Amino acid sequence: MTVTTIQTPIRRRSARSRKLLPYLLVMPAVIYLLLITLYPGIYALIRSFYSGKFKLEWAGFDNYAQLFSDGQFANSIWNTVLQGSITLGVEFVIALTLAALVYRDPWVKGFRIIFLLPMLLMPSAVAFIWKLMFNDGRIISDLLKRIGLIDYNVDWMFSPFLARFVVIFVDVWQWTPFLFIIFVAGLQGQDKEVEEAARLDGASWTTLFFNITLPMMQPIIAVALILRGIDIVNMFTPIQVITQGAPGGATETLGYYIQRVGWDGPNFGYASAASVLVLIFTIIISQVLVRRYFRSGTES
Amino acid sequence: MKSKRSILGTTILIVWAIVSVWPIWFFATIALRPRVEIITPEPIYWPTFTIETWAKIWDEWPMMKYFFNSMVTVAGSVFICLLLGIPAAYSLARYRYKGREDIGNYILSTKMMAPAVVAIPLFVLFAKFNMLDSIWALMMVYSATNLSIVVWIIRSYMIDIPHEVEDAARTDGASDLRILWEIIIPMCLPGIITAAVIASVFAMNEYFLTLIIGRREAYTMSIALANFKGGSDGIIYNAIALIAFMAFFPILALVISIQNHLSRGLTMGAVKG
Repeated sequence: MTVTTIQTPIRRRSARSRKLLPYLLVMPAVIYLLLITLYPGIYALIRSFYSGKFKLEWAGFDNYAQLFSDGQFANSIWNTVLQGSITLGVEFVIALTLAALVYRDPWVKGFRIIFLLPMLLMPSAVAFIWKLMFNDGRIISDLLKRIGLIDYNVDWMFSPFLARFVVIFVDVWQWTPFLFIIFVAGLQGQDKEVEEAARLDGASWTTLFFNITLPMMQPIIAVALILRGIDIVNMFTPIQVITQGAPGGATETLGYYIQRVGWDGPNFGYASAASVLVLIFTIIISQVLVRRYFRSGTES
Repeated sequence: MKSKRSILGTTILIVWAIVSVWPIWFFATIALRPRVEIITPEPIYWPTFTIETWAKIWDEWPMMKYFFNSMVTVAGSVFICLLLGIPAAYSLARYRYKGREDIGNYILSTKMMAPAVVAIPLFVLFAKFNMLDSIWALMMVYSATNLSIVVWIIRSYMIDIPHEVEDAARTDGASDLRILWEIIIPMCLPGIITAAVIASVFAMNEYFLTLIIGRREAYTMSIALANFKGGSDGIIYNAIALIAFMAFFPILALVISIQNHLSRGLTMGAVKG
């Protein structure tokens, strides 16, 4: 596109102040964000070379060395990757299925509101709903008993498998709507004529969906999964409320680990070292993803 | 191509609707039942409906304060977001200058910052300024975490406004700031409202950083509900459910008001429709 910003010099304003204006407009926001991102990054970096909580002692690379040999740290990364990818995969499949079922339905708005509801509760409230359902109130066990699937109350926090199931289930329940809403909009926005033409050519529903619709949706799907993926990687609330990492750290995510060693453990330095590693990883990932997928609309 | 949905498809929709709604309904009954009927050997699905526990909860916990703290921090943070975000969005959407892409990408990338990374430094920072347990600190944190979303949503709506509108005003001699205030802002009001609603929801929901900054005084609804525990009483689910719905209904109303802009807002403008 070649829409040049209009520079008709009707007003006799100095060229310099005109050049400066866009920077002046954007700077307050940038400075505010630097304060909340750059400062913590630098602070964590410095702190990661010290040990102690209030009285600092130089530790060199000790924190990092310790971190790399810490089985719990590796474990939390593994849990984050494992639970995160399953959660994201399940949410993606359910959301796409639901979206494909309703996007041409006259009642689509009604479905949208109903499916949206779990997303509108505070995540901490949602965590307590399912803590009650699975653990304290044994509601889920009772329902499963009623339909004859089991004949005893299940202790969901007993095995790593079940505890992970609970964590994944809670996230899927609350956040599938996020993807659903976006996918519905994406499907509605696709070209109806292409769809009709393919149908007239005798393309089956599945060919149409997998060969035409999905490829067209690809950029939208990418953006949606990135945004959801960020939140899943940072998952904290349900872990803290429901499992606290139980059983034996099987559900402990990276975010929960850093918070635990930082606050309950001996020092901030150790947690800071973990933070720095996460930060480096985040910067690399975000540079790649942001540049690649959020381009749409930049061409003005 | 009307209602060619299979029986399987209909079943899936009904099942998911029940899975979505029933737990919320059940939790609503938790707020409306006596304490003795919450944790029982056999779950009670149809309780004796009563609001008698509400008075007790209201006496024992500063519920209005939690509500007030949430409202003030959310409103304040959204105000800061718009104050900083609208000019920034205008700059990114309407001018060409060196570094524009990088600045835009930087703003967006702050969305990817892990809260766990900023938690300790922010804790130390606010402790230094004696701002732990203060709603002002929460306001700052919420606005910083939401600023990227607000800027990008509003920017996306501003890009859609045709340039001719401004050109006309500019030939009439209007200054850039006046054009922003009198033409651009009114024209992208839906975008601004969408951004404000989404930022409100995220601010209302924030849990992790609030937990680190808040003590007694600055408890918002989101973390207050995690602390309804009373010695032998265990977890007080009545109060949790009550406060969950005190937050739920305002959010529901806000989100319904922008429902046609929701997908665009949630993707920060990347999906239009």
